[in-house]
Amino acid sequence: MEKKITMPRLRPEMENGVLCAWLKEEGDAVQAGEPLYEIETDKVVNQIEATESGVLKKQLCEEGDTVDVESPVAIFEVRA
Amino acid sequence: MLTFINESTDPFYNQAFEEFVFENYAEDDVFYLWQNRPAIVVGCYQNICREVNVHALRRRGVPVVRRMTGGGTVYHDLGNVNYSFMLCADGPLDYDHFLDPVIAALNRMGIPAHKNRSCDIAIGDKKISGSAQKAAGGRILHHGTLLFESDLASLDAFTAHAKNDAFQTKGTLSAICTVTNIRDHLSEPMTIADFRSRLLAEVLPANHVCVELTDEQRAQVRKLRNEKYRSWDWIWGKTPTFSYERAGSFAGHPLRVAYKAKKGVLCDACIESPVIDAYLAASLMNGSRLDPDGFAKICFVLAGSRAEELLELLM
Repeated sequence: MEKKITMPRLRPEMENGVLCAWLKEEGDAVQAGEPLYEIETDKVVNQIEATESGVLKKQLCEEGDTVDVESPVAIFEVRA
Repeated sequence: MLTFINESTDPFYNQAFEEFVFENYAEDDVFYLWQNRPAIVVGCYQNICREVNVHALRRRGVPVVRRMTGGGTVYHDLGNVNYSFMLCADGPLDYDHFLDPVIAALNRMGIPAHKNRSCDIAIGDKKISGSAQKAAGGRILHHGTLLFESDLASLDAFTAHAKNDAFQTKGTLSAICTVTNIRDHLSEPMTIADFRSRLLAEVLPANHVCVELTDEQRAQVRKLRNEKYRSWDWIWGKTPTFSYERAGSFAGHPLRVAYKAKKGVLCDACIESPVIDAYLAASLMNGSRLDPDGFAKICFVLAGSRAEELLELLM
């Protein structure tokens, strides 16, 4: 099943975050709990982990892009 | 809570030390102090050339270190004391969670410090401390600087007045703040060694445990230093994608230079000047690594004795 991964809201006042680095490439198999990407907001680098196991199908933004909270950053194929 | 003894003043070693403790003491709360000899320390996703005067640093032999937390550029020297906090936490924690105990400790030491902006500490309206964080694997690292008796003229020369707008870049920009040294605001004199030991005693709970890394662990820290923190891949390769364009005067003639870089590797390079071989310039620059020493070599090939003059225009 494909699902969209979205920019998380890490703090109540957070409006957007910078996706600084992809830690997985398109096509990579990812285990739940493994770090997928890093975002920076308000001087904090946050490593964001996969919540389910599967495959990173598509990165929807480039490193350095500012992304609004809840906007999609990736398409992820969840392993059944 | 654990505290660590780290007497090293090697800025690359100290970044590796912090990462080693963050990764290897994952069950423990940690607070410790450390100091660097002169170095510029940039945030994890900053464009070094945009934030600091790389030419001044190169002339003075001051290294640039990239840290693993976010935020902006800071200058460290032996008049500055750094603190690192590490805590286990499921979600993000407020900066106040870490700043409050430090500010309370400073206040008990008679230093009239207060919180300023979201994550700074100030005396009056002048900054004495900046901080940044990394959250990974259910843990948070929060670290900060404390200007005690730093060389503020060097801080100024390397950072605040050195913005280079020829770089059109993504990545985190540094804020420019007026700063002051804590020593100038003491009611009674204190050495930096006294300041360190009193601050540590004020912040640590009575039941803390003091840890010194074993020889074997220190060897692992040195390995991490050599393989990561001193590597081109980490320092320059993590530079956010950017384009550079500048027009100026070289050897009495107009010169225009432009290039792009992705992951620190140059492309689309072009130098237009009546006294420089454009074909040779493009072939030397395209595919080369962003790095002041590497650029200096290219400039020497292109401009011989005028290499430094050319270098100033290229980055």
